[in-house]
Amino acid sequence: MDIKPILSSLRRSPTGALLVALQIALALAIAVNSLFIIVQRLELLNRDHGVDVENTFVVSWVPVAGRFAGEPAMREDLQVLAGLPGVVAATTVNAVPLSGGGSSTSLYTQPGEKGQRGDINYFAVTERGIEAFGLELVEGRNFDATTVRKLPRNGSEFVPEVILTRAAAKELFKDEPAVGRTVYDSLGQPATVVGIVAGMIGSWPSWDQAGNVALFPVIADEQQARYFVRALPGRRDAAMKAAEDALGRIDNGRVILRVRPLDYIAASTYADDQAMTVYLAVVIALLLGVAALGIFGLASFNVGARTKQIGTRRAVGARRLDIVRHFLVENWLVTTAGVVVGCVLALLLGLWLSETFELPRLKLYYLVAGALVLWGVSLAAALVPARRAARVSPAVATRTV
Amino acid sequence: MFAYDLKLAIDSLKRTPGLSALMALAIALGIAVCAVTITIYHAVSSNPIPHRSQVLHAVTLDTWDVDRPYDEDEPENPPTLLTYRDATTLYGSGAAPRSLIMYKSGDLMLPERAGVKPFHATLRITTHEFFAMFDVPFQHGGGWDAAADAGPQPLAVLSAETNDKLFGGDNSVGRTVKIGSTEYRVAGVLEPWAPSPKFFDLNNGVFEDPEDVYLPFGWGRVLELPVHGNTQCWKSENQSSYTDFLNSECVWLQAWAELPDARARERYQAHLDNYARSQKATGRMQRPLNNRLYDVEQWLERNEVVSRDNRVLLGIAFLFLGVCLVNVVGLLLAKFLNAAPLTGLRRALGASRRDVVRQHVTEVLLLGLAGGVLGILLAIGGLAGIRMLYDDEYTRASYERLTAVDPVVVLATLALSVLAGIVAGLYPSWRIGRTAPAVYLKSQ
Repeated sequence: MDIKPILSSLRRSPTGALLVALQIALALAIAVNSLFIIVQRLELLNRDHGVDVENTFVVSWVPVAGRFAGEPAMREDLQVLAGLPGVVAATTVNAVPLSGGGSSTSLYTQPGEKGQRGDINYFAVTERGIEAFGLELVEGRNFDATTVRKLPRNGSEFVPEVILTRAAAKELFKDEPAVGRTVYDSLGQPATVVGIVAGMIGSWPSWDQAGNVALFPVIADEQQARYFVRALPGRRDAAMKAAEDALGRIDNGRVILRVRPLDYIAASTYADDQAMTVYLAVVIALLLGVAALGIFGLASFNVGARTKQIGTRRAVGARRLDIVRHFLVENWLVTTAGVVVGCVLALLLGLWLSETFELPRLKLYYLVAGALVLWGVSLAAALVPARRAARVSPAVATRTV
Repeated sequence: MFAYDLKLAIDSLKRTPGLSALMALAIALGIAVCAVTITIYHAVSSNPIPHRSQVLHAVTLDTWDVDRPYDEDEPENPPTLLTYRDATTLYGSGAAPRSLIMYKSGDLMLPERAGVKPFHATLRITTHEFFAMFDVPFQHGGGWDAAADAGPQPLAVLSAETNDKLFGGDNSVGRTVKIGSTEYRVAGVLEPWAPSPKFFDLNNGVFEDPEDVYLPFGWGRVLELPVHGNTQCWKSENQSSYTDFLNSECVWLQAWAELPDARARERYQAHLDNYARSQKATGRMQRPLNNRLYDVEQWLERNEVVSRDNRVLLGIAFLFLGVCLVNVVGLLLAKFLNAAPLTGLRRALGASRRDVVRQHVTEVLLLGLAGGVLGILLAIGGLAGIRMLYDDEYTRASYERLTAVDPVVVLATLALSVLAGIVAGLYPSWRIGRTAPAVYLKSQ
């Protein structure tokens, strides 16, 4: 196939081709970087959160001042919740995982704020905490029920035992076994690491150390306390309804405010990330659409403008296939020029994004994917005009010459 | 002449209805994406209290750990909150013409009205200057005075929504509300008021509604009302009572000062620094002197109210508009060159080069305008779509505000689309104007 006539027709009217190439380049640069952001967010949203997000729910309540009985009332409520049909386990919590609100503290491997330090997001739970969250205990043991108690408000008392996530254990003890070791709070009070759970994302999903979580055997203070309940798969909604009814029937000096599934709370925390992915996906779709439009427009114009030329070529022996090929190859050349420039632009845009906004650097295989997609879109967009060109009759050539 | 240009433009657009629609659509898409992004960006970056934003100052002191900055990523930043003793001492010093200290709390509201269930009320525990300093509008009654803060006297100010809920919107001044175990007399009821961003407290939700009820500052200590914002502690201190907490190095209070001019600001800064020096002498505040005053704009920036995502999206939206415009340039060029024989004829019949350019620019302006109107309609749909993505009870109210159709943005967008049309149309119009008529007349 001779590409000389194609090059010469491109040289004769370069502006349109240049504009299409520029459009493809810009579209590629934006689409690839948008896709990269989308994939990062989806990884965040779809990672293993450890907590059983689909089957758990949270009961929010407030004590009525002067009438609330404290720990016995909470124990009573927990017993009621645990006895409901379809409920696996229930615990009090000081904060809700994935909610954006919670508590953190610094733990050390030696007393006196010495040794390795870890900033740890902690949850106060009962001995049913692991079950209620739906975590997997991979080493050691669960809390002994006798260690679970309510601590005085505004006090500095520490707990005797803690359970760490693997990530938290690694932060404090590197690769050494953590079970049986001692961690210290900032006042130098010790606690024994009794168990390790596989992993869980804590209160703040966007924190880069969101997996550094510890469980403390504590009945949360009623100023913060909520109940966290896990149901059997498929029975959460019924359990929520039953929980609201059952707790509503008991008057032990607290008012039930809301019962909400954890996936609802987590979706709210992730709403910005979710919206970002949808928004960027729409932008990518529109970009490809607009690019296709531009390619289609230019190819149609070229076909219209060169009707006579096509007729002449047909009259001197070019087959329909040659004409189609001519337009597709011409379009391919323009697209490829755009793709090459687009890759450079994409890298520059990616560099700028990563420097300005401290995002990770664009991965190169995204460029390959973007280029392939644009080639495909471009081919599809040029196909209709090219076939129209092939239908030009050789007789056209003779009409006005 | 304009009428003639317009007629020519409309004729020309009608001659290629498909292509005209495609071009208008390309402009509309670019404009729509920009309009959606700008609407949200504008809402996020807006100044919630423009007439007082340079007078109001958030007060910060670097009381943090000598070995570790408050913010390890940006070590020059002092904590955004104050300790109880620093906040109350600075407030008591009277060094600013007007200042306030406050925090967010919450407790159970026990309504007397039949049919209203008890609910969790968000509380702002604040000194009395809050309403005057932040220009908060009252529909009934008013706030309280310094004596009520110190007492504390059982007075409360209700938000409009709370008053609606508890009293059906009646003037409730003088009536009582029961929160927790305490009864308060309603001193005032606010008009609906929701500055966005919620500049005076950026701890929890930046765009969330203000609190349900305002209580005199003294109640915080008397009732030991819990902190619902952030409490951050760095020092290992043995605490066993609420008093220990108040005396600790934990930061949890917000402080604002009204400093009407540069002199007042300098004086207050000097006061802050002197106070910090006096504390250094007692062994506290061992970090280098770093006490900052932020006016409202600076405070919004320090707290990164305009997020990284907002900026990235704004950039992407304009790049997208760029792609759409390049597209339109290409299509216009094709269209104009296709119609060149006609233009050649007009030139031959005496139309000047300028006439031809003007006629083509008119056509492009028309396209830009059509694209702009269509784009705004698409944008309104897009904003509704975004609201659907935030359809949960925690973020819904914020996003209803952020995605509200903004007349300023609508006008700016229309201007942008006409400008975009001109930018896209200038080269093709010039190009067609430059063409020698003879070339196109040859084969007629």
